[in-house]
Amino acid sequence: MSLIVVTLAIGLALAGTILYMVRRDHLHGPYALGWLLLAAGIIGLSAFPRVIDRIGEMTGVYYPPILLCLVAIAALLIKSLLGDLQRSRQERALRRLSQKLAILEQDMEEMRVRQGLPALRREPGRD
Amino acid sequence: MPTPDCLVVIPAYNEGASVAAVVAGARALPGAVVLVVSDASEDDTVAVALDAGATVLELPARLGAWGAIQTGLRYARRHGFRQVLTLDADGQHPTEALPRLRAALGRDDVVIGTCPARLSLARRIAWTYFRLLTGLKVVDVTSGLRAYGPRAIDLLARSEASLLDYQDIGVLLLLSGQGLTIHELPVAMRKRENGHSRVFSSWFSVVRYMVHTTVLCLAQIRRRLPEEAGA
Repeated sequence: MSLIVVTLAIGLALAGTILYMVRRDHLHGPYALGWLLLAAGIIGLSAFPRVIDRIGEMTGVYYPPILLCLVAIAALLIKSLLGDLQRSRQERALRRLSQKLAILEQDMEEMRVRQGLPALRREPGRD
Repeated sequence: MPTPDCLVVIPAYNEGASVAAVVAGARALPGAVVLVVSDASEDDTVAVALDAGATVLELPARLGAWGAIQTGLRYARRHGFRQVLTLDADGQHPTEALPRLRAALGRDDVVIGTCPARLSLARRIAWTYFRLLTGLKVVDVTSGLRAYGPRAIDLLARSEASLLDYQDIGVLLLLSGQGLTIHELPVAMRKRENGHSRVFSSWFSVVRYMVHTTVLCLAQIRRRLPEEAGA
């Protein structure tokens, strides 16, 4: 019984935290969805812990709780890989943007000079 | 005087002590514009390079040597330069070699100025290993003294080249994988006036570099890029 209470509390706390993070604008919407699904899963499993035993029986796993660990580790691995893919995309975008910014800044400067406008102040290291 | 079609790109990170001499040497090349790309330098590189008569781009965040060079290539593409010459800002590459590099560009898409005498034993072993792994026939893969023709500029300015970290094997594999030709030109180089190799600075960074580049080599095998939209 106490196990159910603990896991239920964890699930509810996770769901509450996610909603709060979204509300405070700390967490981007699409990420929140995944985390809320996870919280729902925890709540569901804590309410019906027998489900794991049933799945274990059905899949022929000798020690059903290990099934939960296995799924959790697999999910973490996939999540971490997706995170790195996302970071690589962002890194590429950041590099391209930095390059373009430097080029446009110089083009703008040249245009000002051609129009006889005074040069803009250069402030290295303060971008 | 015709409009210049050659851009000399000098990537620089905190090279205030040596960049002026390099810019002055590069400006002696007729019909060329000299562009210094400051990789978010914290010293007076930008001011010194401007005083020396270079056009200066300032990156807002550190992108590494290749990120700075690619900025120069994108600038060249945008402004219609047909040739890009690159050399390091630390003064190790003699600017007197630039005309020869440029002349050799007519026959090949890329010309690399190499100094075989300068290679240490560790580098010789490393480059031999990479030659075997990639089938590239280049002796000095990290040399920053290079000339790029229009096809190479177009290819290397693409976003597919933006996640590379060094101007070396990844870049060469990308070029040779798309059928561009690479030629090596022996050039006598000076010792670095200050600073030291980023790659061969410690054993840890050597190991990291070898692993990183091996992965890159394996991942690049037979990789063909899709045709560029509107190209």
